Amino acid sequence: MKRTVTVEPIEETVELADGQTILDACLRAGVWLPHACGHGLCGTCKVEVLDGDVDHGAASPFALMDFEREEGFTLACSATARSDLVIEADIDIDPDAVIRPVRDHVGRVSRLEHLTSDILGIWITVDDGMEFQAGQYLNLTVEGVDGPRAFSFANSPSTTHEVELHVRLVPGGAATPKLHTELSVGDKVRFSGPYGRFFVRRSAEKPMLFLAGGSGLSSPKSMVLDLLETGCAHPITLVHGVRTSADAYFGDLFRSLEAEHPNFRYVPALSQPGETDAGWTGETGFVHEVAERLFDGSFKGMSAYLCGPPPMIEACIRTLMKGRLFERDIFTERFVTAADGESGLSKSPLFKRV
Amino acid sequence: MAKKIPLKRKYEMMTRGLAWDTTYQDMDDVYPYDKFEGIKIHDWDAWEDPFRLTQDAYWKYQAEKERKLYAVIDSFAQNNGQLGLSDARYLGALKLFLTGVSPLEYQAHRHFAHLARNIRGTGAQVAAQMQSIDELRHAQTQIHAISHYNKYFDGLHDFTHMHDRVWYLSVPKSFFDDAVSAGPFEFFTAISFSFEYVLTNLLFVPFMSGAAYNGDLATVTFGFSAQSDESRHMTLGLEVIKFLLEQDEANVPIIQHWIDKWFWRGHRLLSLVGMMMDYMLPKKIMSWKDAWEMYFEEQGGALFEDLARYGIRPPMHAEQANNEKHRISHEVWAIFYQYTHAAGFHTWDIDDEHKAWLSAEYPDTFDKYYRPRLDLWKQMAADGNRYYNMALPQLCQVCQIPMGFTEPDDPTTICFRSREYQGDRYHFCSDGCQYIFDHEPEKYIQAWLPVHQIFQGNCGGAEIPDVLNWYHLNLGVDNMAYEGSAEEKIWNDWMATRRVGAART
Repeated sequence: MKRTVTVEPIEETVELADGQTILDACLRAGVWLPHACGHGLCGTCKVEVLDGDVDHGAASPFALMDFEREEGFTLACSATARSDLVIEADIDIDPDAVIRPVRDHVGRVSRLEHLTSDILGIWITVDDGMEFQAGQYLNLTVEGVDGPRAFSFANSPSTTHEVELHVRLVPGGAATPKLHTELSVGDKVRFSGPYGRFFVRRSAEKPMLFLAGGSGLSSPKSMVLDLLETGCAHPITLVHGVRTSADAYFGDLFRSLEAEHPNFRYVPALSQPGETDAGWTGETGFVHEVAERLFDGSFKGMSAYLCGPPPMIEACIRTLMKGRLFERDIFTERFVTAADGESGLSKSPLFKRV
Repeated sequence: MAKKIPLKRKYEMMTRGLAWDTTYQDMDDVYPYDKFEGIKIHDWDAWEDPFRLTQDAYWKYQAEKERKLYAVIDSFAQNNGQLGLSDARYLGALKLFLTGVSPLEYQAHRHFAHLARNIRGTGAQVAAQMQSIDELRHAQTQIHAISHYNKYFDGLHDFTHMHDRVWYLSVPKSFFDDAVSAGPFEFFTAISFSFEYVLTNLLFVPFMSGAAYNGDLATVTFGFSAQSDESRHMTLGLEVIKFLLEQDEANVPIIQHWIDKWFWRGHRLLSLVGMMMDYMLPKKIMSWKDAWEMYFEEQGGALFEDLARYGIRPPMHAEQANNEKHRISHEVWAIFYQYTHAAGFHTWDIDDEHKAWLSAEYPDTFDKYYRPRLDLWKQMAADGNRYYNMALPQLCQVCQIPMGFTEPDDPTTICFRSREYQGDRYHFCSDGCQYIFDHEPEKYIQAWLPVHQIFQGNCGGAEIPDVLNWYHLNLGVDNMAYEGSAEEKIWNDWMATRRVGAART
């Protein structure tokens, strides 16, 4: 029998299947609750049951003390509903988050374009529409490959019936070589989404700095398009780090946006300019070096959005922190391929998000 | 219907929402201690409460922990749990820990209460308040453990008196005196960050698992009960350091110096733990070297990689500390073996099985440097000439450990460093301790060094029995060789009775 759980303080109501835990139902519905171990031991997902009855399931007596049970607390990862529920979770009302349930979609490849020598642009029409927040991603099922692959939406969220993905070829990878060589226009593809908590904090009302590396341009592109379309007046800077000028894809698009919007600045940066770049007058160097030059090493009062390979992210975080911008104003989404391993992730509990 | 207030906001209203800025009196007069160290705080509201625990919830948690803990301690007492220990030698480690650490818990209680009053950020005040009460609880539970063991064993009868007088207890005592006589932010960096975050696993994990391996359920339980608070204290340590580093660039070099100083202070203090792990636990858990590699080199290394983002580098003498992991436990055991007649616990000759373990754990150093000395001492004891060093040792002016540590590049030469200050010469066991002295000589020239005090006639007399009397230690009962001691005899009697009892049933 279907039951519901209403989550305070955000007042979202979610359906619970028989035997489904509160945490599982909420996460699937796009309602994020704090959690860690997922099986009743750590207590991170403790919530208060304001109304209704729960079965505590396998919650450990050390993670959920006796007096807490008496006072109506439970662990969302272990608890199932015996009636409709109202719970209160330790979550912030994030004024910039939009709650959208994750859904499965089937789309059709409408266009393929090699954006650079190793980045393939894939456009997919979605008949039932795909709503998301700029910065979020989808999980794409690649035929014959175990486990879905995550790709950020590169289109503006206003384009709801065609999504755009940027797929960098990972040499020796399981999925991306298949996408690069085997995908054809007209193919049917399956994916689910939207996922992720990487989105623009517009309520911060601060100048914004987007630092992108290679195919990490996808999220920042979507975010910048969204901001400019909806009339954001804060200064916006996009630094796109690439090897050579031939890799600075969508350069024309961003230059025309720059011409239209005085608050937008586009800075492609070449890390390995070659012979073909002889006439290049723009920035050279790594993304973090260019950002440091552009802002004289001081990032106070901004918010920064980082997207790219782990070493670039780490170098950017160090530069931003040296320039007195800290975790609460730095946002990032990391896609770690098997080749990246654990590198670039913070290794101690000192940082939670970056 | 109005939206419910989020828990975080509710917590803020119940804590910092209840605070106010004073207007009749200047805030700097109300909080006189939080500026003189040079730490700049621009916005106390940027403090992120690392855990959101209000006082009413805090008391409920602690009450339930206490119920569970005392149920175990009572049953341990009623069932003569001390008879389940692996061996009476284990008590050496326990006595050193209980007499060395319990008074520090009490000092921590007092000083966190002081911080709760004297830090002007409300989030930090609440965190310090709760930690103050935690520390009092830890002191109390450890005193209950002392009380139980004191009924059956020697050397635990007057720990508060001894803490202020006994030469090796001056090592932990002076460590904490140094911290509590510093400013509030140095104390946070010293205790909450350097000790409770960076080094705590080296104290608690080996000691608690050592207790578990050696049948000491009472200690294991107070350990678990304390550790559930410890995770909160560690989180506080991290939050403090992040907060200070983010508030102002000028704070970075100040914090760096404190990390350099307190890392080395902590490392020297923990050499006592290294000795316990390698020499005093009848059933071994892991060597000091392995523990150092796992908890400092790996976990600490990861932390300092992350701290590099703030411009913080690893502690100045970390390389020397890594280098010393092969030797300090052996060097400290040698000190206590020689001076066990002036201690509150026994030492003993190391048997062959134990030596084989040490040799396997320390393949590069044990057989070469330390086994020959242990063999010689064992032979001397067999010849009826057990070695006691009757000369008083020179102490390091900073860590107060006898000067028994060796040169960074030579494990066969004792490391002596010295400095002249205002016409007097001061001695140090290491570059790390000398560096600490150089930075604040006027503080360390005031150190109460037990050996100097004896020579100055302040410790009950000139002869060892006079001094022990002044320590309230009973010569030949509480100390000297374990072999032939009253404690060995009573333990063997109990075990014999047990075997007879077991044979009858």
